[in-house]
Amino acid sequence: MNVTIDQWSVTYRVNDHALLALDEVGLRLVPGSITALVGESGSGKTTLGKSLMGLLPEYAQVKGHIKLDEQEMAGASEEGWNAVRWSEVAMLFQNGPANLNPVHRVLDQVAEPLIQHGRRSKAEATAEAEKALARMKIDSSQARRFPHELSGGEIQRTLLAMTLIMDPGVLILDEPTGALDAITKAFVSRIILDTRDQGTAVLLITHDLDLARNMADNVAMLYLGQVMETLPAKDLLTNPLHPYTLALGRSYPSMETLRDLGGIRGDAFYRITHRHSEKNGGVRPHTHVIGTEPSHENGHLHPKGCLFQPRCTQSIGPCCEKAVQLQDVGSHRVRCLRGGIAMQLELMQVSKRYGDFTALGTTDMTLQAGEIFCLVGETGSGKTTLGMIAAGTLSPDQGNRMLEGRDMDRWIRQDYRSLAGKIGVVYQNPAEAVSHRLSVFDIVAEPLKIQKRFREKGEMRQRVLRALTDVHLSTDTSFLGRYPHELNMGALQRVCIARALVSGPSMVVADEPTSSLDPSVQAKVLKMILDLQIEKGLTVLFITHDLGVARKIGDRMGVMLAGRLVEVGPTVRVMGRPAHPYTGLLIAGARGETIAAVKPPGGSNSRGCPFADRCERAREICFSRFPEMGGVEETRHLVRCHFPMG
Amino acid sequence: MHRDARRTLGGDPWFVTGAALALLLGLLVVAGPFFAVHDPHDMSFRPLSAPSTEHWLGTNDGGMDILSELLHGIRNTVVFGLVTGMIALVVGVLIGLVCAWFGGVTDHALMRFSDILLAVPSVMILILVAAFFRPSPLVLSLVLAGLSWPTTAKAIRAQALVVKKSVHVVAARQMGASGAYIITRHLMPELFPLYLIGFAAKARMAMFMEASLSFLGLFDPSRKSLGMMISYALKYYYLDIWWNWLIPPILCLTLLIMAVTFLAVSLEKVFDPRLKEAL
Repeated sequence: MNVTIDQWSVTYRVNDHALLALDEVGLRLVPGSITALVGESGSGKTTLGKSLMGLLPEYAQVKGHIKLDEQEMAGASEEGWNAVRWSEVAMLFQNGPANLNPVHRVLDQVAEPLIQHGRRSKAEATAEAEKALARMKIDSSQARRFPHELSGGEIQRTLLAMTLIMDPGVLILDEPTGALDAITKAFVSRIILDTRDQGTAVLLITHDLDLARNMADNVAMLYLGQVMETLPAKDLLTNPLHPYTLALGRSYPSMETLRDLGGIRGDAFYRITHRHSEKNGGVRPHTHVIGTEPSHENGHLHPKGCLFQPRCTQSIGPCCEKAVQLQDVGSHRVRCLRGGIAMQLELMQVSKRYGDFTALGTTDMTLQAGEIFCLVGETGSGKTTLGMIAAGTLSPDQGNRMLEGRDMDRWIRQDYRSLAGKIGVVYQNPAEAVSHRLSVFDIVAEPLKIQKRFREKGEMRQRVLRALTDVHLSTDTSFLGRYPHELNMGALQRVCIARALVSGPSMVVADEPTSSLDPSVQAKVLKMILDLQIEKGLTVLFITHDLGVARKIGDRMGVMLAGRLVEVGPTVRVMGRPAHPYTGLLIAGARGETIAAVKPPGGSNSRGCPFADRCERAREICFSRFPEMGGVEETRHLVRCHFPMG
Repeated sequence: MHRDARRTLGGDPWFVTGAALALLLGLLVVAGPFFAVHDPHDMSFRPLSAPSTEHWLGTNDGGMDILSELLHGIRNTVVFGLVTGMIALVVGVLIGLVCAWFGGVTDHALMRFSDILLAVPSVMILILVAAFFRPSPLVLSLVLAGLSWPTTAKAIRAQALVVKKSVHVVAARQMGASGAYIITRHLMPELFPLYLIGFAAKARMAMFMEASLSFLGLFDPSRKSLGMMISYALKYYYLDIWWNWLIPPILCLTLLIMAVTFLAVSLEKVFDPRLKEAL
């Protein structure tokens, strides 16, 4: 059965206050496919599920259309709904045990819909219910127990049996696996997939991103009652286009991601419209948020702008003012003024030579706003060269560079200082990266002084203190007057990070920022970089030779070999299923496996693959031709290899 | 300047000794003319008289008061040394920085020129100039400075080249710093110890040179100086005057050079904390 939800709005109205739970949601459920509805709690997921069952409370005001095939259900009477409930549309509610009547045996409760719809006699219904329960691996003795005598997993399976008993055309699952252990979850998932295969349209309401990614065909991201993005489920964790999807993906402890957990800055609100009573002077109803943030004056949401804007790290001025509609971007639909996650940096066909030596072969690289891109590779593979080209300190011999959509080379010529303020650089050895004749304050203030940002001293001081607070350093006067040789390496590197952040950059290029630190200090600094990245939405180009570090912090990674990028992709793919043999070798080396016969990289200037003479898979063509970048199963994972690994 | 410089300096014997000597000699230089109760050019006293309450160090063969001569001599030597050292330092730093910063032809030309100067024996030139032209002390000081800047310039250039490539300068460039900013805020402070070394070496050399030239009688004889006093005193070594005529100028010259050296060494240690372990 097809379900079409169109312009569906639900407002819960109590007195002068109204909670806008769903805001013009449009969604299609197709037979034989699973659509996942994902969002934080309070985003309106359950309200949508209940809407499809006609179970909204009386004080809910609705607008829009819900069609089951061609039948309009919006505004349908209770009788109209009763005709389709359980038989056509069934819902598995969350909070399992609460949905069963404690004074009846579960078998009777599972049989109840059949009897209620008058399809079966009691005996037939009971027999059918027993069969359905057996399919859920609940035997007849268990079926005759009372709900409180069953475990949580058994209850959930019982409920699923009840939901499926009338073989509905539409199945709504509200957190079907929320409280289940991994094994029961796998079993329930199997049943759901079987149901889908029988041609049921399934709406999977969940905050479990792994479940959504593994089971669903399409995913709709719901935020404050609005669909922010609809996307193919396989892209959920590896190729999100909306900043919300990206941030939510980072917050989820997925088995599919390697990076440390992030989060989304700020809190989600409930949207409340309210009307001030006449005597208080206000009359106009307006949108109001609960859980206010100081940045929102009186807790009033911008009436027109993007709902996610207060938490979004790439928002720009117009985001507060313009209403945004869903728009098609490839196979996704995205509600974002900037057309999804913006492009921070694009390097197109850049290369760099020093005399005869090719430090960087022709290379393309793109960095999305708010991601951490790790560049790994051997010493001398051109990581730093590429990093410094990205940072604008080194000019490529050829190629174009775009930062935030602006031509970087022209920008450098016209107004280098404003560009420099956009990019912060952190260097490998903090002791060398600062002048030992400057105090902590002078070090951190240096970019501001150079870029002449502030006329007033006090304002500059504030910025310096804020930057130091951001990196968890002291801001008292005695610390500000310290000199580099009085600090330990960890503190000094944090001073350097504060210096990189003080001008408020949108991108940070960090060249081996933690390799001169001991592990405990490195852990702190990495954690801090992740926190800052979430809070400020920084794009980070993180250069490291340490794959362990890259694995923990990178969203995507690029592997460099002899001045070329040989593999680029989501960290989880590159680390989990490396496609280039060289990446495999790096990972093996990082794991501590001994590597037989490390031959020096052969001809970086020869025409073949630079790895060919070290590669076990190499054949003749590898020595004569170096292939172009090609996609591995998905376009986001690219590799330059004739015979990529499986 | 580093915050704890004062504390560190106070505990450093090199500095304490050097500073005490410098203070003493400085006092003599500044207040010398007040102590010198007699005009050093006054030849009206009885020649070669032994020390007395009137003439604390006695009189010389020309009947001049030795103490007054000595005080004026120190003064002339110190002023000559400091002026020469300063001029040589400024010239050396400027040329060193210009070479390091611009490189290329400028660097090449200036460095070859400095090689030529290094190869020329400056003592000979100075003696010739002094003997033939009888220039004023200031001109002689300029000539000496003009001959002795190359070592400073080379040291400054070498270090500036290192600092120029250092990460913190690269970082400052990345932030958008201009050349002037990098030179004044990064290069010049970083080279501070070299200024001290350069200045001290040149001042010491100049003082010694002044003493030598005057010892050889190449300065205007009416200009009192330590070297000249030593030279005259030596002619009367057979008389029993060595302790009141010969020793005082030698002692003063020695102390003078010691004071400059000690101060330079201790300041160097303090202003470059990384040298602390090395010294």
